[in-house]
Amino acid sequence: MWAAEKSRTNPLIPYAATISAVRELTLDVNLFQVELHDGGGFAYQPGQFAFLSAFGVGEAPFSITSLHAEGGPMEFAIRRVGTVSAALHDMEPGSLVGVRGPFGNCFPLDDFRGKNLVIIGGGIGLAPLRPIIKTTLGHRSDFGDLLIIYGARTAQDLVFATEFEDWAAVPGARLELTVDREGPGWEGRVALVPAVIKELQPSAENTTAIICGPPIMIRFALAELKALGFENHQIVTTLESKMKCGLGKCARCNIGEKYVCQDGPVFTFDQISGFLEQL
Amino acid sequence: MSRFLSLDGLLAWLDGLLKEGTVVVAPTLVEGVSLYQPVPAAAEIDLDGGATVLSPKEWLFPQSHTLFTVERRDGAAELKEGTFDGRAVLFGLHPCDALGVHLMDVPFLAEPADASYRERRERTALVGLSCTRCRPECFCTSMGTAPDDPAHLDVMLTPVEGGYAVAAASEKGEALLASAVLEEKAVPLPEPPVPDRLPTEDLPRVFRALFGHAYWGRVADRCIHCNICSYVCPTCYCFDVRDYSRGNTAERVQSWESCQAPGFARIAGGYEPRPSKAAKMRQRFAHKFLYFPEAFDGPLSCTGCGRCVRSCPVNIDIREIIGDLQRIGVSSVGSGEKQD
Repeated sequence: MWAAEKSRTNPLIPYAATISAVRELTLDVNLFQVELHDGGGFAYQPGQFAFLSAFGVGEAPFSITSLHAEGGPMEFAIRRVGTVSAALHDMEPGSLVGVRGPFGNCFPLDDFRGKNLVIIGGGIGLAPLRPIIKTTLGHRSDFGDLLIIYGARTAQDLVFATEFEDWAAVPGARLELTVDREGPGWEGRVALVPAVIKELQPSAENTTAIICGPPIMIRFALAELKALGFENHQIVTTLESKMKCGLGKCARCNIGEKYVCQDGPVFTFDQISGFLEQL
Repeated sequence: MSRFLSLDGLLAWLDGLLKEGTVVVAPTLVEGVSLYQPVPAAAEIDLDGGATVLSPKEWLFPQSHTLFTVERRDGAAELKEGTFDGRAVLFGLHPCDALGVHLMDVPFLAEPADASYRERRERTALVGLSCTRCRPECFCTSMGTAPDDPAHLDVMLTPVEGGYAVAAASEKGEALLASAVLEEKAVPLPEPPVPDRLPTEDLPRVFRALFGHAYWGRVADRCIHCNICSYVCPTCYCFDVRDYSRGNTAERVQSWESCQAPGFARIAGGYEPRPSKAAKMRQRFAHKFLYFPEAFDGPLSCTGCGRCVRSCPVNIDIREIIGDLQRIGVSSVGSGEKQD
């Protein structure tokens, strides 16, 4: 394998890494644990992302869903959607991949301290939120109440289901699950995520909402949050974008005067509503 | 008194550089098309051809080049970087193209630099040629350069009777000239030609003010997304990175891309942030005249070379767009004609 030095001198050259474990989260989402080879490695913050390479197929950006502070391997929850994600899904543990990172800004944890948090996720959108959930659950006294509203199309599409029990058991934390369509084995709520916000009426006072999911969910969830008195600066999201470099050069993630790879991917809706080019 | 290099002296100088292994990249006719290409001999250079069809950015930022290969064998993988370890002279740059190189330096050398670009750039000397005439599409003086401007060049040559007046603008240039047979003599310099002027005053502010204007829909309607404007442009630098696979070897390639191409910003899953023609076209011009000057403290990302004007198959004309926006900016303040 190649020396990590190459990756440090040329930011387009990935670190050599191995998929150390693969866990099926849903029918089309796998959790990949990735370990960098000797000499390669980097610290990362909740909200940052990295590029994974399937050599011969390509490279794509994915949010890092593990928490660096826990010290375990780097994890990525990846849905089989495009060519790179499909190639990763076809790989066995032990396979060679490339990693470049970390890129982007991170969730403003300092701003979250002392506040109640409403974390709203849809489908694979839970992946970038997981490190924030882990951080706030692990440091309960630093944060106010934590309400997690998470939904997916069906019960089989809920990612990280094996962790729900642990999350809900932490004092001051509440997990509300929902699915769009009922199905066998699901006794819980059947409703769209925005409807659950409306039902639960979380208070906007001293509260920050953090939201990630499909654009349509975000649009309607935003309207419900506004109706509850949340201001744009109290709502944080992370944007998905086409990217080829992560360095602010290829211009694929350019929206108005912003580069999602460097100015983001984490933005408040205050910032987004001020973009010259609207999403 | 100034330094003079005869035509024969110029060819001998360049042939000497070629002989010692320097790559000489210069305007040359390839199947009748004027391009910047490595030449085998100085006699192949098209010395009087005016602006090439493609800009010299191709040498520093190739249409496509190998970033690296990964070869897998017996459970191990070896990565080899695509490198350029030679020396090159980019010869015959008119001042607009010298400005073009500078405007590529600005984003690509900004830290973290594009390593491939930096490597080629550091190993390449720029030899310029001042203009003896303008084309109808030229507007370089509106973009901060001029037909006789030596800015950003290592050596500047000005065509005079029987040869060239020589000015070196950098240490790199003086070193390069060490092997040239120069004469000291009084050389009257010709009057430089005068290109058309465009109203570029305050362009970023005008762009911002008219960002949502219906004008973009009207001007973009005839665009056929052929991307030629981006490809001929000396300052367009958007790129693609993709992999190719052969046997045990994967090759990662960086190549030109255009924001005018459908799918440029589309993500897996299908979301397309700029689906309309208007939004795509506005992106290209907004990048040049608003995002770039705001991000990099000033310069507009255009050289006035006029290549896009000549190449566009549907006559979309950057000069007209600048003029139209200035006119609308002046006339429509408060008119409320908006889209989006």
